[in-house]
Amino acid sequence: MIKTIMTILKKEMMSYFEGVSAWVILSVYILTSMFVTFFVGGFFSINNSGLFSFFYFQPYIMALLIPSITMRLWAEERKSGTLEFLLTQPISVLSVVIGKYLAAWLMSSIMLLLSIPLWIYLNIYFSADNLNIISGYTGCILITGSFCALGCLISSFCSSPAVSYLWGLIILFCLNVSDFSSIIEAMHLPQIIELRLHKMLSLSSHYYDLINGQVGLDNILYFILIIIICLWLNVMSIDYKKN
Amino acid sequence: MIVAENLCKDYGNKHAVNNVNFCISKGEIVSLLGPNGAGKTTLMRLLTGYIEPTSGEVRIFDQDLKTQRLECLRRIGYVPESGFLYNEMSVCDFLHYTARLRGMTEEAYQGNLRLTVDNLELREVINQKIETLSKGFKRRTGLAAALIHNPDILILDEPTEGLDPNQKVSLRNFLRHYGRNKIIIISTHIMEEVEAMADRVILLNHGKLVKDTTPAELKELFPEHNIETAFYKITSEAK
Ligand SMILES: Nc1ncnc2c1ncn2[C@@H]1O[C@H](COP(=O)(O)OP(=O)(O)OP(=O)(O)O)[C@@H](O)[C@H]1O
Ligand SMILES: [Mg+2]
Repeated sequence: MIKTIMTILKKEMMSYFEGVSAWVILSVYILTSMFVTFFVGGFFSINNSGLFSFFYFQPYIMALLIPSITMRLWAEERKSGTLEFLLTQPISVLSVVIGKYLAAWLMSSIMLLLSIPLWIYLNIYFSADNLNIISGYTGCILITGSFCALGCLISSFCSSPAVSYLWGLIILFCLNVSDFSSIIEAMHLPQIIELRLHKMLSLSSHYYDLINGQVGLDNILYFILIIIICLWLNVMSIDYKKN
Repeated sequence: MIVAENLCKDYGNKHAVNNVNFCISKGEIVSLLGPNGAGKTTLMRLLTGYIEPTSGEVRIFDQDLKTQRLECLRRIGYVPESGFLYNEMSVCDFLHYTARLRGMTEEAYQGNLRLTVDNLELREVINQKIETLSKGFKRRTGLAAALIHNPDILILDEPTEGLDPNQKVSLRNFLRHYGRNKIIIISTHIMEEVEAMADRVILLNHGKLVKDTTPAELKELFPEHNIETAFYKITSEAK
């Protein structure tokens, strides 16, 4: 199983870097991230020891870029007919799902790595709260992990990468801005439970906890749970769709 | 040995494969015949575990395909109907990728690669990207990927489509030789191929197995003594 996962991971990484797609994604990431950090987030004008102006906008930038990393993973295989080849090899669907997912996560982590110079810059010229920044990066890695899992799942439902990108973009943006209020309010629960549910379900509240330095087990578990559920649904959707 | 028992596959209320039974033993080359939409591709997908049957079961060398899927798939090489190649890879990379997915050791892969590439005359294009290959070479690349682990069972969905006459003959000769101690299932629409290659014919129509016989017997069924007429008569009779 590990061998299969590594084979799939390697193949997907090669296909990112063989064409121009990886380079385009990485350049767009670094340009938008830096622009937003310095000009929208006000790098110099706020107390930025925790790199807040960088972390604050990451979910939106990731929502824009991660669908372009995950869109091909399943949709392309389905479109070109290679899915039939892949799934008649003696390998489990789960290992393919994990291999593809890890490739997407690795690719988005490489993207995040490009922002490390910013951290170094902050340490040299300003005062940096490094523990807080580590917590922020943990948040970033977890949120990209969840977005990749969602992106893979969306790709597995679509039969073309372009459609998969669009759906990914829409769903990830909605997830960023929504705190599930309408659903929670429709349940007519006591206010105290409503408040707790808001906090529990909302992606941004867990993420903002992390970038504010509150690592908390509940925040980490929240993202890990999203990843596990999405990967499990991904296996189901592949099995369901081919039948 | 490959056994299909009461195999059914429904899509909605359409019976793509309807209660099919057969048993194929080592050394048999079986030709799967039937008009367009008869269920040949669906049957092959059931035999290779790509889709699950609505009911019935498949056993590969006494192992249940459903519960022991990976063990069964290790013994099968399958060439789907069309377009299953990674266009951005070179022939060599594609074969290597297949071997790694199949868990082959580097040594076993190198040994089989040489044989397969020579048998299918792929040497001249081995480093070429698949998207730049001609149709015939693409077909042969697909076949090479199915053969790379020297499988006991070879399942080919219209493998000669797109091959030039010379290639057809050399593929036939190769399969004849390969099939001596293996199982080969080939679907085709070319009747001369059936006569030249197959030991046995399984004829499907509207998802049902309507004839399971030898090419010689199929010929003798009608006074015209040819397979094409027999095919036509049997499949239009059923309408
Ligand atoms: N995924 C699917 N969804 C719905 N119907 C399907 C699906 N796959 C196949 N069918 C139907 O099942 C029947 C059998 O199709 P199949 O592809 O097995 O035929 P075939 O014998 O391979 O035909 P051909 O000679 O044209 O390749 C057809 O009526 C087809 O429309
Ligand atoms: Mg077919």
